Amino acid sequence: MSSSSYSSSPCAACKFLRRKCMPDCIFAPYFPPEEPQKFANVHKIFGASNVSKLLNEVPTFQREDAVNSLAYEAEARLKDPVYGCVGAISVLQRQVITLQRELDATNANLFRYAYNEMPPLRPPQPPPPLAAGQSSAFCYPYQWNDPSDEDNERSSGGNM
Amino acid sequence: MTLKGGATSACAACKYQRRKCIPECLLAPYFPADQTKVFQNAHKLFGVSNIVKILRSLDPSQHAEAMRSIKYQANVRDRFPVYGCLGVIRQLYYQIQMLEEEMHTVLTQLEMYRQHHHHQQQQHQHQHQISSMADDVISQLELGMAPSNNALPLFNQVTHQPYTMQNTYSSSDIDSPPKDNVENNSLWIQHLFLDTNNHGTSNNDSPIAIQSQLLVPNSEPLADTQHQVVQDYDEIHPFFDSIDDRQSYIDTKDAEDSSSSEESLKETTQLMVGNVGSKDLKNAAACFSLTSVN
Repeated sequence: MSSSSYSSSPCAACKFLRRKCMPDCIFAPYFPPEEPQKFANVHKIFGASNVSKLLNEVPTFQREDAVNSLAYEAEARLKDPVYGCVGAISVLQRQVITLQRELDATNANLFRYAYNEMPPLRPPQPPPPLAAGQSSAFCYPYQWNDPSDEDNERSSGGNM
Repeated sequence: MTLKGGATSACAACKYQRRKCIPECLLAPYFPADQTKVFQNAHKLFGVSNIVKILRSLDPSQHAEAMRSIKYQANVRDRFPVYGCLGVIRQLYYQIQMLEEEMHTVLTQLEMYRQHHHHQQQQHQHQHQISSMADDVISQLELGMAPSNNALPLFNQVTHQPYTMQNTYSSSDIDSPPKDNVENNSLWIQHLFLDTNNHGTSNNDSPIAIQSQLLVPNSEPLADTQHQVVQDYDEIHPFFDSIDDRQSYIDTKDAEDSSSSEESLKETTQLMVGNVGSKDLKNAAACFSLTSVN
């Protein structure tokens, strides 16, 4: 290894994996040696090979965003092994629902005032109770349809 | 994957890995054989070994929830390869911000309508009181009766009663929003106002301008009560504080108007009494001198 021809130190990934950091290392631009924990987290949750495959499928100009999102998800999963970053999604989704209800109620009051009526005071209604099939208070906002089956996630109890 | 007796088929994980699916397979309950795409997504993002590692670090009672979130995260990453769940979180934050801004606008408009409605009510009731008391005095004078001992204090009460009515109205909390929401609203109202001030949007200017226009024309009989109204409404006091110094200018202007408004009120009552007839008034005054007012 001609270390004299390389002025930069190996990236955090190659340092962690204890391998030579080549010039065309896919991790080098996104895992600087000053942030070793970033790659350590990503490697622990997703694995280096999976991250490498993911980055290869993404255009070059979007790879930094992809790495940052993976780093965020990995850190969230380490902090909360059960829910990871999906916990934050659930909380935010409920917040959106609550705000939307409050806004609807306030708009209704405004409509009544616009026609010179006294609005009855209605406190914002609480969120509906969980359905029988829901095991937790989680609210998954996005529906994902598995094209290979008809019953999407029903057997696994997911509500996605 | 070969099946023994065809009783149970291998799970999607074992089928993908081309291995025997044992009864103790950790992933079998969560990756049925007919959900190959779900497993592929999870395998692509996490890998089987990492998923098993996560499950083994958790209590068995938490496995179902953990797998649910893992599958969701993997599916979102399949749908959004660059941003994944982070993109969803950012969208939700943006949605919340939009909703809060819209709520701020609607609450501002609602407050303006409430004040306008409230002022109209007070004016109407005030005029009604004056006319009814004047009618009482007129009718008594016509009948040749001495007005009641409290007739004169009634005229004095005309100026004071709006204050008590104001206090009653403000303490009734009919139109005030719940305080826990209002405290939050006051905080993000200030925050949003500062933000919009920084951005220099015109949306915040128009409600303030409209509000000042509403306050000035209605200041004649009840301007002095407005200051007390503002003090009584704790929930909108921070709102007014967050606007700008023009509000204080409006208050002082209203204070100046109130001093003249009270005089105009007295003039109004005197004019109404004056329409009765000077002779009758003298007779009434004579009766007052003989009786105690209190």
